[in-house]
Amino acid sequence: MNRLLHTPEGVRDLYGNDGRQKELLTDVILGVMNSYGYRNICTPSFEFFDIFNKERGTVASKEMFKFFDQEGNTLVLRPDMTPSIARSVAKYYKDSIYPVRLCYNGNTYINNHNYQGRLKETTQLGVELFNDASVSADAEMIALTVEALKKAGLSDFQIEIGNAGFFKGLIEQNNIDADLEEELRVAIKTKNIFKAQDLLSELSISEEQKKLFLMLPETFGSIDKISPIKAATDNTRAQMAIERLEALDALLKEYDCEKYISYDLGMLSKYNYYTGIIFRAITYGTGEAIASGGRYNNLVSQFGLDVPAIGMSITLDYLMIALDRQGLLPKTVKEVYMVAFSEGSESDAISYAKKLRHQGKAVSLSCVSDMEQVKENLISVSEEVVEVHCIGDDTEVKIYRL
Amino acid sequence: MRYITFALAKGRLANKAMEMLGEMGIFCEEMKDKDTRKLIFVNEELGLRFFLAKANDVPTYVEYGAADIGIVGLDTILEEGRKLYEVADLNVGKCRMCVAGPLSAKELLGSGKLIRVATKYPNIAKDYFYNQLHQTVEIIKLNGSIELAPIVGLSEVIVDIVETGSTLRENGLEVLEEIVPLSARMVVNQVSMKMESERINAIIKGMREVIEKRNAAK
Repeated sequence: MNRLLHTPEGVRDLYGNDGRQKELLTDVILGVMNSYGYRNICTPSFEFFDIFNKERGTVASKEMFKFFDQEGNTLVLRPDMTPSIARSVAKYYKDSIYPVRLCYNGNTYINNHNYQGRLKETTQLGVELFNDASVSADAEMIALTVEALKKAGLSDFQIEIGNAGFFKGLIEQNNIDADLEEELRVAIKTKNIFKAQDLLSELSISEEQKKLFLMLPETFGSIDKISPIKAATDNTRAQMAIERLEALDALLKEYDCEKYISYDLGMLSKYNYYTGIIFRAITYGTGEAIASGGRYNNLVSQFGLDVPAIGMSITLDYLMIALDRQGLLPKTVKEVYMVAFSEGSESDAISYAKKLRHQGKAVSLSCVSDMEQVKENLISVSEEVVEVHCIGDDTEVKIYRL
Repeated sequence: MRYITFALAKGRLANKAMEMLGEMGIFCEEMKDKDTRKLIFVNEELGLRFFLAKANDVPTYVEYGAADIGIVGLDTILEEGRKLYEVADLNVGKCRMCVAGPLSAKELLGSGKLIRVATKYPNIAKDYFYNQLHQTVEIIKLNGSIELAPIVGLSEVIVDIVETGSTLRENGLEVLEEIVPLSARMVVNQVSMKMESERINAIIKGMREVIEKRNAAK
C-alpha cells in the first residue's frame, strides 16, 4: 500500500467528469446570483480565530481547524463564509447608503468527527444582502435559492422557513432563564414534545402559555397552519414574527415559488446568530440540508457597522450528492478537439490549432511518434475528446469523429 | 410511491415495536418467519420497508436518511447525540440509566476525588459527571459485563442501564444515583419528516394513539 496516494479523511480529489460537473453547476448557480445583481467577493481561506468565535459564527470552536502564525495569533481555516464577508462589509462599505449585494464561491473547513461519512472540506456558493431589512429582501433571498436549485436541475425540493422571533417572544414574556431556554429550544427543535412537557411542568406559567410552547413542534406546513397561532398569543414580538411570515408568503407567490415553500415555527437555530427568518432547503437522497440561510441583523455591528443583513449558502457537495442520487446531474458533453501531428509538422499544427481555438473550440495538441497507431486506436484517446484531427506529411487533414 | 423505511433495534424492542405497529394496522408478514436470512423486509401494499440493526446504529441510519423512522432506546439516542426528531415515547422497554457500585463508593460521588468510571456509554457518563456533579473522572469504555469492573478493581463505579437491579445485587453492587429514566422512542429523519410529511405524520399519529390506548389500559 502506497501511503503517498492517500488523502486525509474528509477531503477528496474531484477530477474528470465529476470535476466538470462541479464546474458546470458552479457556473449555473453563480449565473443566477449575478442575475439578481450580486457581485463576487473573495476573502482569505484563513483568518483570525476571533472572526468566527462566539456569536459571530455557526460552528463550534472545537470543530474549527486552528493553527498559529509566527507571532502566536490563533488562525482558523474558515468554517463559514458569512463572518468574513460581514467583516469586509464593515471595512469597505461603511458609507454605502444603498443595499450591498455580494456573492461568493469558496471552500469551508469543518473539523467534524471521523467515521461519520461527512466531508471536512465543502464548497459553498452563497449570497449576502446588507443594508436592507425589508420583507422583500427576505423574499428575494428565498426566490433566489429556489431559482438556483431549479436551474441546477433539482425539481423535488422544499424550502422550510421558520422565524425564531416567535419563540424568543414567548421566552421574554414568561421570563424564562437562559439555561431553561436552551433546553426548551433543543426539545422543540427536535420535536420532542414529552421532553418539552417535562420542562414546562416545572414552570409556574399559565396553562395557555404552556400550550403555545407545546404547539411549536407541531406547527409546520403551509402558511394556513401558521396564521391561526397569531390569535393565540398577545405577545407583540411573537405576533410580529408571524405577520412577517405572512407578508413573506404573499411576496413569494409573486415570485411563483409557493410550491417549494413550507413553514415550521419549531425550526430554531442552535446559535443566537440569526435574528429573523431562518430557512433551509431539503430534498430526497441526502439527510443533510443542501442550502440554508437566514437574517442576522446583529452580526455586522460586531465588526463596527450597524447594518441589517440576510444571507444564504448552497453546499455544492451535498447538492451534487442529491442530484446524483436522483439521476439529475448535468450531462457533460465531449468537447475537446485533439490535433495530432508528427514531428516536423509543428508549424502547420500550431496554426491549425490557433484557427480552431479562434472558433471557440477546445484544442489539445499532441505530438505523436506513430500516426498510424493513433488512427487505429482512436478508442484509447482521453474520454473528453470528440474529434481527432491528424496532421501528417500529406497536406490534407484527416478528421475522425468519435 | 417511495418506500418509507423503518430501522428497528434488534431484539426484544423490535418485537414490541412490531406488536405496536400491528395494533395500528401496519404488518410485515415476511418478518414473522423466524428462520429467514433476509436483511430487509417489505410490505409492498403499504410501501413500507423494515430492517433490523444493532441498537447503536439505528440513530445513524436515521440521521443520514437511510431509514426514515427508527425505533430505539433513549439510552442510545442520548449516547449517539445525532440530529433527529424524537416524536414518540413508546413507554415500553422501561429502565433507568444509573451510577452503580459498592455502597462504600457512594461518598466518592461529587467528592472532588478523581475516580474511575466504567461504562458502555462514555458520552452519557461524561455529561453526568462533568456537567451535573462537576467532578473530574476517568472514563473507561467497556463493551459488556460492566458490573465486573468495580468487583475486580478496574473502576470505582459504573454507569449502566438498570432494569430490576437483581444482577447488581447478586454481585454486591447498589444503585448509587439515578441519571435518567429510559424507554423506547420513535425517531424520524429531519428531511423525511418534511418531504413525506403526510405519510409520516399519519404513522406518528397512529403510534401516539396506540400508546395512549395502552397507557389507559394500564
